Amino acid sequence: MSRRLHIEVFRYNPLDPNSEPHMQSFYVNEYDSMTLFIALNIIRDEQDPTLQFDFCCRAGICGSCGMVINGRPGLACHTQTRDLPDHIVLHPLPVFKLIGDLSVDTGTWFRDAGARIEAWVHNDHEQFDPKAEEVRMENDLANEIFELDRCIECGCCVSACGTARMREDFLGATSIARVARFYLDPRDERNEENYYQVIGNDQGVFGCMGLLGCEDVCPKHIPLQDQLGIMRRMLAIHSVKGILPKRVLEKLQHKGCCHESH
Amino acid sequence: MDASTLTLHVRKNGAGVGRLDVMQMLSGVLLIVFLWAHLMLVSSVLISPKLMNAIAWFFETTYMAQVGGPLIGLLIFAHFLLAARKMPWRAQETNAFVKHSVMMHHKDTWLWLAQVGTALLILVMAATHMWVVLTDLPITAAKSAARIQSGTWLPFYLILLPLAEIHVGIGFYRIGVKYGYITKANRKWYQRLENYMMGGFITIGLLTLIRFLFLTV
Repeated sequence: MSRRLHIEVFRYNPLDPNSEPHMQSFYVNEYDSMTLFIALNIIRDEQDPTLQFDFCCRAGICGSCGMVINGRPGLACHTQTRDLPDHIVLHPLPVFKLIGDLSVDTGTWFRDAGARIEAWVHNDHEQFDPKAEEVRMENDLANEIFELDRCIECGCCVSACGTARMREDFLGATSIARVARFYLDPRDERNEENYYQVIGNDQGVFGCMGLLGCEDVCPKHIPLQDQLGIMRRMLAIHSVKGILPKRVLEKLQHKGCCHESH
Repeated sequence: MDASTLTLHVRKNGAGVGRLDVMQMLSGVLLIVFLWAHLMLVSSVLISPKLMNAIAWFFETTYMAQVGGPLIGLLIFAHFLLAARKMPWRAQETNAFVKHSVMMHHKDTWLWLAQVGTALLILVMAATHMWVVLTDLPITAAKSAARIQSGTWLPFYLILLPLAEIHVGIGFYRIGVKYGYITKANRKWYQRLENYMMGGFITIGLLTLIRFLFLTV
Protein backbone atom coordinates (compact mmCIF):
# COMPACT_ATOMS: atom_id res chain seq x y z
CA MET A 1 0.00 0.00 0.00
CA SER A 2 1.63 3.24 -1.07
CA ARG A 3 1.77 6.13 1.36
CA ARG A 4 0.36 9.59 1.01
CA LEU A 5 3.27 11.89 1.74
CA HIS A 6 2.80 15.14 3.58
CA ILE A 7 5.48 17.46 2.25
CA GLU A 8 5.87 20.76 4.09
CA VAL A 9 7.85 23.33 2.17
CA PHE A 10 9.36 26.66 3.20
CA ARG A 11 7.89 29.43 1.05
CA TYR A 12 9.36 32.89 0.78
CA ASN A 13 10.32 35.23 -2.01
CA PRO A 14 12.80 37.78 -0.69
CA LEU A 15 12.30 39.97 -3.78
CA ASP A 16 8.57 40.35 -3.15
CA PRO A 17 7.87 42.84 -0.34
CA ASN A 18 4.46 41.24 0.23
CA SER A 19 5.90 37.75 0.67
CA GLU A 20 5.82 36.40 4.23
CA PRO A 21 8.06 33.44 5.16
CA HIS A 22 5.79 30.48 5.93
CA MET A 23 5.50 26.71 5.62
CA GLN A 24 3.09 25.28 3.03
CA SER A 25 1.79 21.73 3.01
CA PHE A 26 1.47 19.58 -0.09
CA TYR A 27 0.27 15.98 -0.40
CA VAL A 28 1.68 13.51 -2.90
CA ASN A 29 0.97 9.80 -3.47
CA GLU A 30 4.19 7.88 -3.15
CA TYR A 31 5.23 5.20 -5.63
CA ASP A 32 8.15 2.80 -5.81
CA SER A 33 11.61 4.29 -6.16
CA MET A 34 10.24 7.84 -5.91
CA THR A 35 12.87 10.43 -5.10
CA LEU A 36 12.24 13.72 -3.41
CA PHE A 37 13.17 15.40 -6.65
CA ILE A 38 10.31 13.57 -8.41
CA ALA A 39 7.88 14.45 -5.62
CA LEU A 40 8.80 18.14 -5.90
CA ASN A 41 8.32 18.07 -9.66
CA ILE A 42 4.89 16.49 -9.22
CA ILE A 43 4.00 19.31 -6.81
CA ARG A 44 5.23 21.94 -9.24
CA ASP A 45 3.52 20.36 -12.26
CA GLU A 46 0.20 19.55 -10.66
CA GLN A 47 -0.29 21.74 -7.61
CA ASP A 48 1.77 24.93 -7.56
CA PRO A 49 3.80 26.15 -10.55
CA THR A 50 5.29 29.00 -8.49
CA LEU A 51 7.31 26.63 -6.27
CA GLN A 52 11.01 27.44 -6.66
CA PHE A 53 13.71 24.78 -6.39
CA ASP A 54 16.80 23.98 -8.43
CA PHE A 55 17.67 20.84 -10.32
CA CYS A 56 19.58 19.86 -13.39
CA CYS A 57 21.03 16.36 -13.66
CA ARG A 58 18.71 14.21 -11.49
CA ALA A 59 21.70 11.98 -10.73
CA GLY A 60 23.69 13.55 -7.90
CA ILE A 61 26.24 15.09 -10.22
CA CYS A 62 25.34 18.74 -10.70
CA GLY A 63 24.84 19.59 -7.01
CA SER A 64 21.90 21.91 -7.72
CA CYS A 65 19.14 20.32 -5.67
CA GLY A 66 20.75 20.64 -2.22
CA MET A 67 18.16 21.43 0.46
CA VAL A 68 17.49 20.75 4.12
CA ILE A 69 15.47 17.53 4.34
CA ASN A 70 13.95 16.93 7.77
CA GLY A 71 16.76 18.96 9.32
CA ARG A 72 19.68 17.49 7.39
CA PRO A 73 21.19 19.02 4.26
CA GLY A 74 21.08 16.60 1.33
CA LEU A 75 20.35 16.26 -2.39
CA ALA A 76 16.68 15.91 -3.38
CA CYS A 77 17.57 13.70 -6.33
CA HIS A 78 19.67 11.41 -4.16
CA THR A 79 17.00 10.98 -1.50
CA GLN A 80 14.46 8.20 -1.87
CA THR A 81 11.15 9.05 -0.23
CA ARG A 82 10.91 5.48 1.14
CA ASP A 83 13.87 6.31 3.40
CA LEU A 84 11.90 9.20 4.93
CA PRO A 85 8.84 9.29 7.22
CA ASP A 86 5.37 10.25 5.85
CA HIS A 87 5.92 13.82 6.95
CA ILE A 88 8.78 15.53 5.12
CA VAL A 89 9.85 19.06 5.99
CA LEU A 90 11.95 20.97 3.45
CA HIS A 91 13.96 24.15 3.97
CA PRO A 92 16.45 25.97 1.75
CA LEU A 93 20.14 25.46 2.55
CA PRO A 94 21.26 28.00 5.15
CA VAL A 95 24.46 30.10 4.79
CA PHE A 96 23.82 30.72 1.07
CA LYS A 97 21.80 33.60 -0.32
CA LEU A 98 18.14 32.74 -0.68
CA ILE A 99 16.73 33.15 -4.18
CA GLY A 100 13.25 31.94 -3.27
CA ASP A 101 11.53 28.99 -1.56
CA LEU A 102 14.07 26.11 -1.74
CA SER A 103 16.38 27.76 -4.23
CA VAL A 104 19.68 29.27 -3.05
CA ASP A 105 22.69 30.81 -4.77
CA THR A 106 25.66 28.53 -4.03
CA GLY A 107 27.62 29.82 -7.03
CA THR A 108 28.59 33.18 -5.55
CA TRP A 109 29.75 31.54 -2.33
CA PHE A 110 31.89 28.95 -4.12
CA ARG A 111 33.31 31.51 -6.49
CA ASP A 112 34.42 33.63 -3.53
CA ALA A 113 35.84 30.63 -1.63
CA GLY A 114 37.71 29.45 -4.73
CA ALA A 115 39.32 32.85 -5.11
CA ARG A 116 40.25 33.01 -1.42
CA ILE A 117 41.96 29.61 -1.40
CA GLU A 118 43.41 30.23 -4.87
CA ALA A 119 41.96 27.02 -6.22
CA TRP A 120 44.18 26.65 -9.23
CA VAL A 121 47.54 25.06 -9.92
CA HIS A 122 50.39 27.38 -8.95
CA ASN A 123 53.84 27.08 -10.49
CA ASP A 124 56.69 29.21 -11.70
CA HIS A 125 56.68 28.00 -15.27
CA GLU A 126 57.36 30.75 -17.77
CA GLN A 127 54.63 29.67 -20.14
CA PHE A 128 52.14 26.91 -20.77
CA ASP A 129 52.73 24.77 -23.82
CA PRO A 130 49.36 23.40 -24.91
CA LYS A 131 51.03 21.00 -27.36
CA ALA A 132 53.32 19.36 -24.83
CA GLU A 133 52.46 15.90 -23.58
CA GLU A 134 50.69 15.93 -20.25
CA VAL A 135 52.94 15.19 -17.28
CA ARG A 136 52.40 11.62 -16.12
CA MET A 137 51.57 10.63 -12.57
CA GLU A 138 51.17 7.37 -10.70
CA ASN A 139 47.74 5.82 -10.91
CA ASP A 140 47.37 5.63 -7.11
CA LEU A 141 48.08 9.32 -6.79
CA ALA A 142 45.66 10.16 -9.61
CA ASN A 143 43.00 8.15 -7.79
CA GLU A 144 43.73 9.94 -4.53
CA ILE A 145 43.33 13.32 -6.23
CA PHE A 146 40.20 12.15 -8.01
CA GLU A 147 38.71 11.06 -4.69
CA LEU A 148 38.75 14.72 -3.58
CA ASP A 149 37.80 16.05 -7.01
CA ARG A 150 34.48 14.22 -6.74
CA CYS A 151 33.07 17.20 -4.82
CA ILE A 152 30.05 18.56 -6.73
CA GLU A 153 29.90 21.83 -4.76
CA CYS A 154 26.32 21.25 -3.64
CA GLY A 155 26.98 23.18 -0.41
CA CYS A 156 25.50 20.55 1.92
CA CYS A 157 28.68 20.37 4.05
CA VAL A 158 28.74 24.15 4.47
CA SER A 159 25.08 24.19 5.53
CA ALA A 160 25.70 21.35 7.98
CA CYS A 161 28.62 23.20 9.61
CA GLY A 162 27.92 24.99 12.90
CA THR A 163 30.99 27.18 12.44
CA ALA A 164 29.92 28.27 8.96
CA ARG A 165 26.49 29.19 10.31
CA MET A 166 27.96 31.27 13.12
CA ARG A 167 30.74 32.87 11.09
CA GLU A 168 30.15 33.98 7.55
CA ASP A 169 33.82 34.05 6.60
CA PHE A 170 34.54 30.39 7.45
CA LEU A 171 35.74 28.56 4.35
CA GLY A 172 34.10 25.25 5.17
CA ALA A 173 35.10 21.64 4.57
CA THR A 174 34.64 21.80 0.82
CA SER A 175 37.28 24.53 0.48
CA ILE A 176 39.77 22.77 2.76
CA ALA A 177 39.31 19.51 0.84
CA ARG A 178 39.90 21.51 -2.34
CA VAL A 179 43.21 22.80 -0.95
CA ALA A 180 44.08 19.21 0.08
CA ARG A 181 43.51 18.23 -3.53
CA PHE A 182 46.10 20.78 -4.71
CA TYR A 183 48.45 19.79 -1.89
CA LEU A 184 48.41 16.25 -3.31
CA ASP A 185 48.91 17.38 -6.88
CA PRO A 186 52.59 17.41 -7.94
CA ARG A 187 51.80 20.05 -10.59
CA ASP A 188 50.95 22.52 -7.85
CA GLU A 189 54.27 23.80 -6.57
CA ARG A 190 53.02 25.63 -3.48
CA ASN A 191 54.88 24.79 -0.30
CA GLU A 192 53.52 24.46 3.25
CA GLU A 193 54.05 28.15 3.94
CA ASN A 194 52.01 29.06 0.85
CA TYR A 195 49.16 26.83 1.99
CA TYR A 196 49.47 28.28 5.49
CA GLN A 197 48.88 31.74 4.05
CA VAL A 198 45.55 30.74 2.52
CA ILE A 199 44.03 28.42 5.13
CA GLY A 200 46.27 28.71 8.22
CA ASN A 201 43.81 30.94 10.06
CA ASP A 202 40.48 30.98 11.88
CA GLN A 203 38.66 31.24 8.56
CA GLY A 204 40.40 28.08 7.41
CA VAL A 205 41.60 24.90 9.14
CA PHE A 206 41.96 26.42 12.60
CA GLY A 207 38.35 27.60 12.59
CA CYS A 208 37.05 24.03 12.30
CA MET A 209 35.66 22.78 15.61
CA GLY A 210 35.41 19.11 14.62
CA LEU A 211 31.62 18.98 14.64
CA LEU A 212 31.62 16.33 11.90
CA GLY A 213 28.41 17.64 10.31
CA CYS A 214 30.20 18.05 6.97
CA GLU A 215 31.28 14.44 6.76
CA ASP A 216 27.96 13.07 7.96
CA VAL A 217 25.87 14.80 5.30
CA CYS A 218 28.18 14.75 2.25
CA PRO A 219 26.07 13.08 -0.47
CA LYS A 220 29.23 11.98 -2.26
CA HIS A 221 30.66 10.41 0.91
CA ILE A 222 33.92 12.33 0.64
CA PRO A 223 35.94 11.92 3.87
CA LEU A 224 35.84 15.65 4.58
CA GLN A 225 36.72 15.59 8.28
CA ASP A 226 39.71 13.37 7.54
CA GLN A 227 40.95 15.95 5.04
CA LEU A 228 40.42 18.75 7.56
CA GLY A 229 42.39 16.75 10.12
CA ILE A 230 45.27 16.08 7.75
CA MET A 231 45.54 19.70 6.64
CA ARG A 232 45.14 21.07 10.16
CA ARG A 233 47.84 18.79 11.50
CA MET A 234 50.19 19.64 8.66
CA LEU A 235 49.72 23.40 9.15
CA ALA A 236 49.78 23.23 12.97
CA ILE A 237 53.09 21.39 12.80
CA HIS A 238 54.31 23.97 10.30
CA SER A 239 53.47 26.76 12.77
CA VAL A 240 55.64 25.28 15.53
CA LYS A 241 58.61 24.32 13.37
CA GLY A 242 61.73 25.43 15.16
CA ILE A 243 60.02 25.28 18.56
CA LEU A 244 59.37 21.59 19.02
CA PRO A 245 62.09 19.02 18.19
CA LYS A 246 62.11 17.89 14.56
CA ARG A 247 61.90 14.22 15.50
CA VAL A 248 58.72 14.72 17.54
CA LEU A 249 57.11 16.71 14.74
CA GLU A 250 57.95 14.07 12.16
CA LYS A 251 56.46 11.37 14.34
CA LEU A 252 53.25 13.38 14.83
CA GLN A 253 53.05 14.17 11.12
CA HIS A 254 53.09 10.54 10.07
CA LYS A 255 50.89 8.98 12.72
CA GLY A 256 47.56 7.75 11.38
CA CYS A 257 46.25 8.89 8.02
CA CYS A 258 48.28 11.42 6.09
CA HIS A 259 48.98 12.86 2.72
CA GLU A 260 52.56 13.11 1.68
CA SER A 261 53.46 16.27 -0.14
CA HIS A 262 54.62 15.22 -3.60
CA MET B 1 55.09 43.86 15.06
CA ASP B 2 56.82 46.82 13.48
CA ALA B 3 55.76 50.31 12.43
CA SER B 4 54.84 49.23 8.88
CA THR B 5 52.40 46.54 10.03
CA LEU B 6 50.82 48.58 12.82
CA THR B 7 47.94 49.64 10.60
CA LEU B 8 46.98 46.04 9.70
CA HIS B 9 46.56 47.22 6.09
CA VAL B 10 49.32 44.85 5.07
CA ARG B 11 49.04 41.30 6.30
CA LYS B 12 52.21 40.04 7.84
CA ASN B 13 52.87 36.37 7.46
CA GLY B 14 53.16 34.68 10.78
CA ALA B 15 52.49 31.43 12.52
CA GLY B 16 50.23 33.05 15.13
CA VAL B 17 46.88 31.30 14.74
CA GLY B 18 48.47 27.88 14.25
CA ARG B 19 50.43 28.32 17.47
CA LEU B 20 47.32 29.38 19.35
CA ASP B 21 45.61 26.24 18.07
CA VAL B 22 48.54 24.05 19.15
CA MET B 23 48.56 25.72 22.59
CA GLN B 24 44.82 25.17 22.96
CA MET B 25 45.29 21.51 22.10
CA LEU B 26 48.35 21.03 24.33
CA SER B 27 46.78 22.76 27.34
CA GLY B 28 43.71 20.57 26.78
CA VAL B 29 45.78 17.38 26.65
CA LEU B 30 47.65 18.35 29.82
CA LEU B 31 44.39 19.04 31.65
CA ILE B 32 42.89 15.74 30.47
CA VAL B 33 45.90 13.84 31.78
CA PHE B 34 45.83 15.86 35.01
CA LEU B 35 42.14 15.29 35.64
CA TRP B 36 42.36 11.55 35.09
CA ALA B 37 45.46 11.29 37.31
CA HIS B 38 43.81 13.50 39.97
CA LEU B 39 40.73 11.27 40.06
CA MET B 40 42.79 8.09 40.31
CA LEU B 41 44.86 9.54 43.18
CA VAL B 42 41.83 10.77 45.15
CA SER B 43 40.04 7.47 44.58
CA SER B 44 42.87 5.79 46.49
CA VAL B 45 40.64 6.47 49.50
CA LEU B 46 38.54 3.57 48.25
CA ILE B 47 41.44 1.26 49.01
CA SER B 48 42.37 2.94 52.26
CA PRO B 49 42.27 6.47 53.74
CA LYS B 50 45.86 5.89 54.88
CA LEU B 51 46.96 5.37 51.28
CA MET B 52 45.28 8.64 50.27
CA ASN B 53 46.97 10.46 53.17
CA ALA B 54 50.33 9.05 52.14
CA ILE B 55 49.87 10.19 48.53
CA ALA B 56 48.78 13.66 49.72
CA TRP B 57 51.79 13.81 52.06
CA PHE B 58 54.11 12.95 49.14
CA PHE B 59 52.67 15.76 46.97
CA GLU B 60 52.96 18.27 49.80
CA THR B 61 56.46 17.46 51.05
CA THR B 62 57.71 17.71 47.47
CA TYR B 63 55.77 21.03 47.14
CA MET B 64 54.00 19.67 44.06
CA ALA B 65 50.62 20.57 45.54
CA GLN B 66 51.65 24.06 46.67
CA VAL B 67 53.31 24.92 43.34
CA GLY B 68 51.47 22.59 40.97
CA GLY B 69 48.01 23.52 42.26
CA PRO B 70 48.14 27.20 41.31
CA LEU B 71 49.91 26.28 38.06
CA ILE B 72 46.99 23.99 37.16
CA GLY B 73 44.68 26.92 37.97
CA LEU B 74 46.61 29.10 35.53
CA LEU B 75 46.57 26.33 32.94
CA ILE B 76 42.78 26.07 33.24
CA PHE B 77 42.47 29.82 32.77
CA ALA B 78 44.87 29.83 29.81
CA HIS B 79 43.00 26.93 28.21
CA PHE B 80 39.74 28.82 28.72
CA LEU B 81 41.12 31.95 27.06
CA LEU B 82 42.43 29.96 24.10
CA ALA B 83 39.28 27.91 23.62
CA ALA B 84 36.96 30.86 24.27
CA ARG B 85 38.10 32.30 20.93
CA LYS B 86 35.62 29.88 19.37
CA MET B 87 32.75 30.42 21.80
CA PRO B 88 29.56 32.05 20.52
CA TRP B 89 29.83 35.26 22.56
CA ARG B 90 27.57 37.32 20.35
CA ALA B 91 23.84 36.75 20.76
CA GLN B 92 23.62 36.33 16.99
CA GLU B 93 26.19 33.51 17.08
CA THR B 94 24.47 31.70 19.94
CA ASN B 95 21.15 32.04 18.18
CA ALA B 96 22.59 30.66 14.92
CA PHE B 97 24.31 27.74 16.65
CA VAL B 98 21.33 26.73 18.79
CA LYS B 99 18.99 26.87 15.78
CA HIS B 100 21.51 24.89 13.79
CA SER B 101 21.74 22.21 16.50
CA VAL B 102 17.96 21.95 16.71
CA MET B 103 17.69 21.71 12.94
CA MET B 104 20.42 19.10 12.49
CA HIS B 105 19.59 16.81 15.43
CA HIS B 106 23.20 15.68 15.11
CA LYS B 107 25.00 14.37 18.19
CA ASP B 108 28.45 15.79 17.49
CA THR B 109 26.98 19.26 16.95
CA TRP B 110 25.12 19.13 20.29
CA LEU B 111 28.27 17.89 22.00
CA TRP B 112 30.00 21.15 21.20
CA LEU B 113 27.28 23.13 22.96
CA ALA B 114 27.68 20.75 25.91
CA GLN B 115 31.39 21.52 25.88
CA VAL B 116 30.77 25.29 25.90
CA GLY B 117 28.23 25.04 28.73
CA THR B 118 30.35 22.74 30.89
CA ALA B 119 33.42 24.94 30.27
CA LEU B 120 31.76 28.02 31.79
CA LEU B 121 30.52 26.13 34.84
CA ILE B 122 33.83 24.32 35.35
CA LEU B 123 35.73 27.63 35.23
CA VAL B 124 33.83 28.86 38.29
CA MET B 125 33.47 25.55 40.13
CA ALA B 126 37.04 24.33 39.63
CA ALA B 127 38.30 27.68 40.93
CA THR B 128 36.10 27.30 44.02
CA HIS B 129 37.28 23.72 44.55
CA MET B 130 40.95 24.69 44.22
CA TRP B 131 40.58 27.63 46.58
CA VAL B 132 38.94 25.50 49.26
CA VAL B 133 41.50 22.71 49.02
CA LEU B 134 44.68 24.73 48.56
CA THR B 135 43.93 27.23 51.33
CA ASP B 136 43.46 24.39 53.79
CA LEU B 137 46.54 22.21 53.30
CA PRO B 138 47.51 19.52 54.17
CA ILE B 139 45.02 17.35 52.31
CA THR B 140 43.82 14.42 54.39
CA ALA B 141 41.05 11.89 53.91
CA ALA B 142 39.44 13.04 57.17
CA LYS B 143 39.32 16.69 56.08
CA SER B 144 37.94 15.80 52.65
CA ALA B 145 35.29 13.59 54.29
CA ALA B 146 34.37 16.38 56.72
CA ARG B 147 33.89 18.77 53.79
CA ILE B 148 31.69 16.33 51.87
CA GLN B 149 29.60 15.75 55.00
CA SER B 150 29.07 19.44 55.72
CA GLY B 151 27.10 22.22 54.09
CA THR B 152 26.38 22.10 50.38
CA TRP B 153 29.64 20.50 49.32
CA LEU B 154 28.13 17.13 48.37
CA PRO B 155 25.75 18.58 45.72
CA PHE B 156 28.60 20.85 44.59
CA TYR B 157 30.82 17.85 43.84
CA LEU B 158 27.91 15.82 42.44
CA ILE B 159 27.60 18.56 39.82
CA LEU B 160 31.31 19.29 39.25
CA LEU B 161 32.29 15.63 38.79
CA PRO B 162 30.11 14.82 35.74
CA LEU B 163 30.67 18.31 34.28
CA ALA B 164 34.44 17.88 34.37
CA GLU B 165 34.40 14.31 33.09
CA ILE B 166 31.98 15.13 30.25
CA HIS B 167 34.05 18.16 29.22
CA VAL B 168 37.28 16.19 29.29
CA GLY B 169 35.76 13.16 27.52
CA ILE B 170 34.34 15.23 24.67
CA GLY B 171 37.57 17.24 24.51
CA PHE B 172 39.69 14.10 24.18
CA TYR B 173 37.48 12.85 21.33
CA ARG B 174 37.38 16.21 19.59
CA ILE B 175 41.15 16.72 19.65
CA GLY B 176 41.46 13.35 17.92
CA VAL B 177 38.92 14.41 15.29
CA LYS B 178 40.38 17.87 14.71
CA TYR B 179 43.92 16.60 14.22
CA GLY B 180 43.02 13.67 12.00
CA TYR B 181 43.82 10.87 14.47
CA ILE B 182 40.17 9.87 14.70
CA THR B 183 39.08 9.18 11.14
CA LYS B 184 35.99 7.97 9.34
CA ALA B 185 37.28 4.41 9.70
CA ASN B 186 37.80 4.36 13.49
CA ARG B 187 35.33 7.02 14.67
CA LYS B 188 32.72 4.61 16.00
CA TRP B 189 35.35 2.76 18.03
CA TYR B 190 36.63 5.98 19.58
CA GLN B 191 33.09 7.15 20.35
CA ARG B 192 32.52 3.93 22.26
CA LEU B 193 35.87 4.29 24.03
CA GLU B 194 35.00 7.89 24.98
CA ASN B 195 31.63 6.77 26.42
CA TYR B 196 33.17 3.92 28.41
CA MET B 197 35.91 6.19 29.74
CA MET B 198 33.47 8.92 30.76
CA GLY B 199 31.20 6.36 32.41
CA GLY B 200 34.13 4.69 34.14
CA PHE B 201 35.60 7.90 35.55
CA ILE B 202 32.22 9.21 36.70
CA THR B 203 31.57 5.88 38.46
CA ILE B 204 34.95 5.96 40.22
CA GLY B 205 34.29 9.59 41.23
CA LEU B 206 30.84 8.75 42.58
CA LEU B 207 32.22 5.81 44.57
CA THR B 208 34.89 8.11 46.00
CA LEU B 209 32.26 10.67 47.04
CA ILE B 210 30.15 7.93 48.67
CA ARG B 211 33.25 6.70 50.54
CA PHE B 212 33.90 10.25 51.85
CA LEU B 213 30.25 10.57 52.81
CA PHE B 214 30.40 7.49 55.02
CA LEU B 215 33.97 7.86 56.29
CA THR B 216 34.05 8.38 60.03
CA VAL B 217 35.60 11.76 60.70
